[in-house]
Amino acid sequence: MGEAKIELLRGTLDMLILKVVALCPSHGYAIAQRLQQISKDFFQVHQGSLYPALHRLEDRGWLQAEWKNSETGREAKFYALTKKGRRQMDAEVVNWERLCDAVGQVLRAPEEES
Amino acid sequence: MRWIRRLFQKSRSEKQLDQELRFHLDQQIADYVAAGIPLDEARRRARLDFGGLERVKEEVRDTRWETRLDSLFRDFRYAFRSLRKDRRFVLTAILALALGIGATTAMFSLVYNLLIDPLPYKGGNRLTVVKIHDMKESGNRDRESFSIPEFIDCRTQNHVFEDVVGSYNLNVLYDDGKGLRKTGGAFVTTNTFEFFGVPPLLGRGLTQEDGNPGAPPVFVMNYRLWQGEFSGDSTVVGKTLLVNGKPRTLVGVMPPRFQAYGARIWLPLGLYPGAEGTAAPGNLPVYLWTLGRLKPGTSLRAAAADLVVIARRLSKFYPKEYPEQFTVTTQSEVEAVMGDFRTMLYALLAAVFMLLLIACSNIASLLLARATVRQREIAIRASLGASRGRLIRQLLVESFVLSAGGCALGCWFAYFGLKELMAIIPQGPLPDEADVGLNAAVLLFALGITVLTTILNGLTPALHTVRGDLYPRLTASGKSVSGDFRHGRLRAGLVIVEVALSIVLLAGAGLLMRTCFALAHVDLGYKSKNALLVRLIFPEGHADTADQKRVFLRQVLDRVTSLPGVTSAAETVLVPPYEGWQSGLTVAGKPGFEKLTSFFDMCSEGYFQTLGIPLVRGRLLSKNDVDSARRVAVVSQTFAHVYFFQDDPIGQKFKFNVFDQVPELPHDTYFEIIGVVGDVLNQGLQTSPIPQVYIPYTTTGFGNRAILVRTAVPPDSLVAAVREQIRAVDRDVALQEAKSLESYLYERSYQTPEFGLTTLGTFAGIGLLLAIIGVFSVMAYNVSLQTHEIGVRMALGAQQSKILTMILTKGMRLVAWGVVIGFVASYGLTRFLASQIWGVSATDPWTFGTVAAIILTVGLAACLLPARRATQVDPLIALRYE
Repeated sequence: MGEAKIELLRGTLDMLILKVVALCPSHGYAIAQRLQQISKDFFQVHQGSLYPALHRLEDRGWLQAEWKNSETGREAKFYALTKKGRRQMDAEVVNWERLCDAVGQVLRAPEEES
Repeated sequence: MRWIRRLFQKSRSEKQLDQELRFHLDQQIADYVAAGIPLDEARRRARLDFGGLERVKEEVRDTRWETRLDSLFRDFRYAFRSLRKDRRFVLTAILALALGIGATTAMFSLVYNLLIDPLPYKGGNRLTVVKIHDMKESGNRDRESFSIPEFIDCRTQNHVFEDVVGSYNLNVLYDDGKGLRKTGGAFVTTNTFEFFGVPPLLGRGLTQEDGNPGAPPVFVMNYRLWQGEFSGDSTVVGKTLLVNGKPRTLVGVMPPRFQAYGARIWLPLGLYPGAEGTAAPGNLPVYLWTLGRLKPGTSLRAAAADLVVIARRLSKFYPKEYPEQFTVTTQSEVEAVMGDFRTMLYALLAAVFMLLLIACSNIASLLLARATVRQREIAIRASLGASRGRLIRQLLVESFVLSAGGCALGCWFAYFGLKELMAIIPQGPLPDEADVGLNAAVLLFALGITVLTTILNGLTPALHTVRGDLYPRLTASGKSVSGDFRHGRLRAGLVIVEVALSIVLLAGAGLLMRTCFALAHVDLGYKSKNALLVRLIFPEGHADTADQKRVFLRQVLDRVTSLPGVTSAAETVLVPPYEGWQSGLTVAGKPGFEKLTSFFDMCSEGYFQTLGIPLVRGRLLSKNDVDSARRVAVVSQTFAHVYFFQDDPIGQKFKFNVFDQVPELPHDTYFEIIGVVGDVLNQGLQTSPIPQVYIPYTTTGFGNRAILVRTAVPPDSLVAAVREQIRAVDRDVALQEAKSLESYLYERSYQTPEFGLTTLGTFAGIGLLLAIIGVFSVMAYNVSLQTHEIGVRMALGAQQSKILTMILTKGMRLVAWGVVIGFVASYGLTRFLASQIWGVSATDPWTFGTVAAIILTVGLAACLLPARRATQVDPLIALRYE
């Protein structure tokens, strides 16, 4: 696995997490589940990436954590988006869309007959 | 404050992490169970999905900054532990660094507090002196003061200064009720105190209103006068004292570092016509010494360009005040005060950085040796999962611990070093305001140096150690051959650098030593040993006329001559070799000397005997000549040669052109030459003399006078007795200066080069010591690496002398390379010292030869010990050594 690929995945994962949390504050398990659901099982998020990412985002002040009772009645750590986090997410979404656009344009370019 | 809590409640955050992850696991299990999987299977699958609770935890921990901080702490702890095992290394390293950092910090403190920020005034670095420079004159005889109308025009018409202040110094006699006292004062324009922007210690400074017509007369006092004469009594503010015969109210006292114009009393100078102080005695115009503060961002050159326009305009109004062709030059006040001494300080700062580099090379080379020995340990750590970054950090932390230790000890050294430096620094060029010490800026600098040394020392060895494949070293015996080769080359390079740099330092010190030697052996043309110099200041109303001066001085000279221990005494106006009044001459019947100038002095008949100046032809001044103020002159040999070449000068007549322009001097008066005496240096020690004339001091009553006393005992012991004799004649005549002629010469000419020599010599000595330690340690290390090889050679029958030669050659090759590179560097660098060197070429072969000889000898000694150890290798033990 090349370094570049990991970086891309990590950055993308951060953005996805922010997006999911933006929908509604949730705990780690729910975030993983929802990512899987929304992406129709395309993303299988491993805990070894999810939790470091969550803690990293919290450290940066993009997420805010709070211990609350979950739907099962047990206490769980809920993550919510901060204002800083929302700004970051918006920026990343714009970047992502630009990237997709650019990649799409390159891929759609007609091949020359040789 | 959350982060502090987190740091100290590590267990709690650990527990929360555990809870969070377990919740995830349990939730997964619950979901599987809900999907109809049996509990045991659900548990197994959830665990499998999760992939190791502890691993996830570890990865989470790595993202948190506390962990990073924690591992940094661990690095420090580890560094301390591993350094403690190697005390000798640590002591050498810290001592070397402390010497380097200490010397650098002390030197920086001098440069910072004397050159970068010496003046405690608002915009002190932007204070600028304005000069009118005569383009036909090559010398440094620029006009720095301006008449009041010129000053006003300059102040109002310029576009480059925030403000301009003017002042002139004068002697002030004040009466504090206990008697008349004399001190130095200055008339200052009333914007002065606002201009300097220093709040007064007591009361207020002078304000614009103090210069208005009809304003009550006031003055402000400096701290030293207030402490010394008024014992710091704060009630003195508001009191009225007689100052120069006029009652004035003291309105303020300034803090200790406020020393504007070196005055002790400041008087307001109103600029309206007829204001007090706007005219000198005899209704002559006063000239204001002018100082401007540049607007931020304005260059000195731009200021000169702006001012020259004003000066051109002024020169039309006052054509007499301006030379035919002139330009305006601007100079920063700091530069004007410090003069040439700046070059010396900058040269010393450069030297001390070289010393620091030597120290760093030394530590780097020691660290490299350590790193080689520790290769196994580093390989083990790498194989246990430490990343390269981590290893480099560990090594840098170690180097930082050493640097920090060096910095702490270095600051301590700097504190004492600075005291020593201040004791020998020449006081002449120092601004009164300067406050040299280890202040915040200097300590910040020391800290910066520490970080710099950490990187310089640590990075090269660290990068070298972790370079390449680390794993094979595990299998090797701890001394991998390729690694040693690489490190060996680097260490050799470092030693060469050390030797080369110490050559540069030694060469600089050597050249200054030669300079001091040359200066000490300059023939002044007179005898400075056992002579006392006393300068007198006559207050107004005391010995004003030539006749009164003659009566006074005749009494004083008679009394002083009769003192025990005094051989002779004489009057003079000026003291060679630094002082001289200049004038063009008109020689009767010999035109064509308009361009030449001569120095003249006015002295009593005992002058030549007192200074030991030999008579060459004719006769000296007689008592009769002096008493009756006869128009006779004694001239120097150079004078005779320049004006009369091979003709006989005796009986020739000439007049001083300057005399015609000064009201107090006899106009259109011709002096007859009666004798020729030996040349005396009159343009300083380093320049050959120009024509010199001596005429009787009774020619005029103008100017203050000095007394020269030839003694048979140490001259300083007579100061009190001479003072007493002068007081006995007139108790109001003040002694401005009373010291031996030798110490007068020392302060002016010898102190600066001696200061440079002592300082640079110390740096060079330390540098040499460090370089030698470097040579020694690299050789000792090489020998220990080669033990095996030497054993084999000896087993095969190599002679001890062969081995000795082999090791010595190796060591001396390093030293020789250092010498060669050092010579090349010195050749380029000593020219920066050129303005401080005299009487010896900047590339003097003798100095360089001696330096090379010193380095080679000491280098040989440093190689000898390891080489001897090599010859004592027992082949049997050596072969089993591995």
